[in-house]
Amino acid sequence: MIYYLLLPVFTLFVLTLQVTIFDVLFFGKAGLEISLILVVYAGLYLSVVRGGILSFIIGFFLDCITGVVPGFFVLNYMLIFLISKAVSLKVYAGGVIFTVGFTFLCALLGKLLIVLMYEVLYGINVFYDILNVSFLQAVVTCVSAPAFFILFYRLEGLLNVWESRSSD
Amino acid sequence: MTSPKRYPTIIAALVLVVISLILFSLNFKSPGKPGFFKKIVLEMVVPLEYAVNSAFSSIGGAWERYVLLVGVERENKELNARVASLMKEVNDYREMSLECVRLRKLINIKHDVEFPTVAARVVGRNRLSVFRTVLIDRGTADGIEAGFPVITAGGVAGKIIEVSWNTSKVLLLVDYNSNIDALVQRNRCQGVLQGYGRTGCELKYVQRSENVKTGDTVISSGLAGVFPKGLVLGKVVSVDKEETGLFQRIRVSPVLDITRLEEVLVILKRAGDDR
Repeated sequence: MIYYLLLPVFTLFVLTLQVTIFDVLFFGKAGLEISLILVVYAGLYLSVVRGGILSFIIGFFLDCITGVVPGFFVLNYMLIFLISKAVSLKVYAGGVIFTVGFTFLCALLGKLLIVLMYEVLYGINVFYDILNVSFLQAVVTCVSAPAFFILFYRLEGLLNVWESRSSD
Repeated sequence: MTSPKRYPTIIAALVLVVISLILFSLNFKSPGKPGFFKKIVLEMVVPLEYAVNSAFSSIGGAWERYVLLVGVERENKELNARVASLMKEVNDYREMSLECVRLRKLINIKHDVEFPTVAARVVGRNRLSVFRTVLIDRGTADGIEAGFPVITAGGVAGKIIEVSWNTSKVLLLVDYNSNIDALVQRNRCQGVLQGYGRTGCELKYVQRSENVKTGDTVISSGLAGVFPKGLVLGKVVSVDKEETGLFQRIRVSPVLDITRLEEVLVILKRAGDDR
């Protein structure tokens, strides 16, 4: 229960960090998509319900904060979550190289979905506009992913201890 | 074959996808009307962003200025620390002075604009998102509604797309979803100014026979019912008349630097409200 109560607060905090501090740190030239790392982590390590709700909330909050096409980030992150979940059922997802590589692919997939959405819904090709930023952003995100995975793992551990104590 | 134990997982996954698709399609039908939860998120995120931004604005400034000086000699460090502290003080004064200048400009614009306006501060932005939006600290409590034009001293910044009680989301004119009915000021030829992300905007549907030149000013036509007539949108930076096709390819650069918006004016009336 504590998990579901803390989820919106934690997500909002993470997203605020993402759109403020990390924007300053990288001079607005590259970004660190912690939200995406969190969704990939949820897909690889959390249950479908817990991870799914987490991904849904992240997507919904991002839609509220920066989205122009409502519901887009929810759909985008749910797809990435489900792909991560499917992958986690088939392969061992513990290695650093796997984490980096898989996060990189998910980051590119997220951008590809944006390109597809604009092409299908509006007939606009945003590929070259996105390409400039996306590649660097995907690299920064995937390189930082292992460190964030450790952080999320520890937070999850703390939360589990808290939950078991409160249920005793 | 799928084991029976997997069924709840598959069902949960399917339910999540279906919910996402429903949300996507429902919201798509009625954009500009954020639900209660969306309003709550907007209300919560703005004070948070404002607090983090104000705490990090001076640190961010110092970071951007000094990050390249990591290799300076050791004895300079002490002096740098003192300079940094003094710089922060000066920076604070400079910020206040610049803010004063900007606000004065806004006040002058406010006098020029014949509609009622409300000044707002930009409190949230994501420079790297493909969606070009900013959050401002005014909402329905100040009379703002979806569709109201947003301007600055330089010209048009965008329009309001979502409003909660004390916060609004502004769609900037460089976003791909932004389409503004526009005129070239010099020869009055009409087109639609569409946002083109990082590259600025493109003036579409201007016939090949029209004489549009680099440096021409593009203004709002006042026809689409959102922006009042005559607001500056940008300057023509290139005109490309391809060998085939009916229209010219006209690139337009917004007059104002969208990435550096700090204060804006929201016009509390759509152009169409006059009719």
